[in-house]
Amino acid sequence: MNNFGVIEIAGTTTKSTPGWAYVPDTGPALAAGLQPANRKRAARNQPALSLSDLSARQETRIRKDLEALDRDNHKDTNIAIPPKSGRSRAQNKHTPNVRKILQSQKTFANHLDDYQAMLALAESNPGAAAAMNAAQAKPSTSTAATPKSASPAPTTSSAGGGSKRSAAAAKRAAAQEKLEQERKKATKAAPSRPPSPSPEPSPAPPAAADDDDDNDDNDDEDIPMPDATPLPPTATATTTTPPQTYPRESDILPAYPKPPPRAHPGDADPLLASCGVPPLPSDAELRALMTAAPLSYLEARAAWAGAGGDQARYPARVFCAVCGYWGRVKCLKCGGRVCALECLEAHREECAGRYGL
Amino acid sequence: MASSRKSRSARAPPPPRTLVLDNGSDTIKAGFVTGEKTAGPRIIPNCLARDRHRKTYVGSELEKCKDFGEIAFRRPVEKGFIANWEAQKEIWDREFFDDKAPQRCDPSESRLVLAEQPNSLPALQTHCDQMVFEEFGFASYYRGTGPSFNAYHDIQAIFHTPRTSETIIDIPAEVILLIDSGYSHTTVTPILQGRPIHPAIRRLDVGGKLMTNYLTRVLSLRHFDMRNETYIVNEMKEAVCYVSLDFKGDLEKTWKGTRGERREEYLTGAGIAKDYVLPDSHKSFHGVVREYDPGASSRAACKGTVSTEDVLTLRNERFVVPELLFNPSDIGMRQPGLADLVMQSLSALPIGLWPGLLANIVVVGGNAKLENFIQRLQMELLERVPDECVVRVARPADPVISTWLGAANFAKHEHVEQLAVTKQEYEEHGAGWVARKFAAGLGVDS
Repeated sequence: MNNFGVIEIAGTTTKSTPGWAYVPDTGPALAAGLQPANRKRAARNQPALSLSDLSARQETRIRKDLEALDRDNHKDTNIAIPPKSGRSRAQNKHTPNVRKILQSQKTFANHLDDYQAMLALAESNPGAAAAMNAAQAKPSTSTAATPKSASPAPTTSSAGGGSKRSAAAAKRAAAQEKLEQERKKATKAAPSRPPSPSPEPSPAPPAAADDDDDNDDNDDEDIPMPDATPLPPTATATTTTPPQTYPRESDILPAYPKPPPRAHPGDADPLLASCGVPPLPSDAELRALMTAAPLSYLEARAAWAGAGGDQARYPARVFCAVCGYWGRVKCLKCGGRVCALECLEAHREECAGRYGL
Repeated sequence: MASSRKSRSARAPPPPRTLVLDNGSDTIKAGFVTGEKTAGPRIIPNCLARDRHRKTYVGSELEKCKDFGEIAFRRPVEKGFIANWEAQKEIWDREFFDDKAPQRCDPSESRLVLAEQPNSLPALQTHCDQMVFEEFGFASYYRGTGPSFNAYHDIQAIFHTPRTSETIIDIPAEVILLIDSGYSHTTVTPILQGRPIHPAIRRLDVGGKLMTNYLTRVLSLRHFDMRNETYIVNEMKEAVCYVSLDFKGDLEKTWKGTRGERREEYLTGAGIAKDYVLPDSHKSFHGVVREYDPGASSRAACKGTVSTEDVLTLRNERFVVPELLFNPSDIGMRQPGLADLVMQSLSALPIGLWPGLLANIVVVGGNAKLENFIQRLQMELLERVPDECVVRVARPADPVISTWLGAANFAKHEHVEQLAVTKQEYEEHGAGWVARKFAAGLGVDS
């Protein structure tokens, strides 16, 4: 096959294969999914070690413990699907997509790694990323509330984008970039128009034609396919709601329908006055919140405060490794915590056995 | 082209029957909605299981299994998201699409409403859409986040808000803060008018699985090696674990004391200690909880009879395990506890929304069944929020199927017509369009 005259140019695209993936090595690794604090170089990076800080060995042990707690079974098991007995439903032919999905042995961790690699790629090389997730319309380019997700996040099937299509898609992505820049200029020129917080990509990206569906004939011709608008177009029209204070007329959160409670003689008493109910956000604010794009899996994970999610609010509590009471005594050999002498003795037997001391 | 234009202007009537699926990591909740009638849900274990005789059970066949010793599981859903479609298809086939399936369903004449966890990976969402249309061939389909389906309940009834007969029940509920604590994680989702506020959704990676595994580890250290008995430990967890309202005090009561000392509270059990009789796999197959009997061992020794049953005395194990939800740092996890999780979620929102959200906190998911869960959460939240705020925390009558019931209400609501995608639309516009349509959700003005 001569590839229909399309010449493949070597680039920085990643190639996804079931089970593993080529990933461009760009800078330090992103935070891992389960336990993100990477403190490999903790000793070097920290100005001074404090008492509460864990050693690298303890850190590794905790990480391994947590990984063990996250497993479905204690041992690795491989349960095959039992053979079908007396099944009358005919084995119909799968479509290519379905076959690929069914044969994929990727776990969630693999998918997460792929996704992270995609994000890293999008940061370092937006053009290539755009080519990867072919013709993925950027989610909410105009939503000011979520600047993070405005990056070309791979929101749909990336595995579908083969190298065959990448060249065409890159071209299309470039065209889309151009279009968007033009659009931005246009909106700048008209400052009276407030940004429309609509979730769907604003009405003009015809370049973002879908080719996630595997219709090959669809790829040859660039038919401008505007995105369907799930909402009636009037809804996305810019609404100018002047900021109001509570109670007010709101379309989104209507005011309490009943009359307010009867006046009380103590209402005017300055000592009884509370600071009151904070004003409700304006409709525009609510609209932006309710239509903002979803965060990614890793962004939604709650983390501790601090720059690297490293500072807990309170110091960690320590427990006796034997009985579960407070860990008040430290074992001199291993640094583990026990509650009192009785547990310390129990622990020592194990501790000595563990290290052969 | 002509036909598609026609179909857009006058959409085909919706399929008469809707299959509502809450496809959880541990169990599938499934049932049908036909017109105004709701049937179900049936709770199906979402796993392939193999017992010690190497017999394999798929999905609801697990009911036939009697001996759960050393049973091993393979779960198609990981972290709340369908990762392995090979296994998932097998389970769905056996439950819904085979001729002898218990909930027989003809996809070409049904609509599918599927609940998924928030913040899914796009690749997995696309896989899901492709499987639904290309393999199963449903006529119509909507995939929405599970938490937001809970808004289609009469929420104020859960809180027992006093009201008169003319009060209008608004569905979807105006404002809820939904906490979904399931098998793989716990999520906090603020919902306004049935629309989830995505920037404020937060997740804590503590769920039922982690707690069961932690209990397994603790028991294996202190009593017997239970590491292969996940199922039995899980039953034990559901039977005895509770959330402590006074962690320090309870821990003090369960301490045996220093060397030689035996504290009074330890000997009597202080109302906390419980005996758990393990199944012996011959006569009994499920464990039994008993009140703690302080003199049992000495009496047995006097009589000279050796008891054949294995009894575990559970003391601080009962409340230390659910404590992980509120203090994940106890096992070294670098995540805030549940109350802080709620505060993190709220801090992403304008302060004007706080009073409404805090007064309408609903907890669903299997962990909500833990005793005192609601009270502890309310207690911790009251410490963190401004004094003027009313904090109300409640759980529906059955927190496990709450999401399913909400999704069933949603399937009857007019919103489903705006959101569902038909097979023709999928074939015409492709998976990317479908994913974007689902991600956009309801919008605001509909």
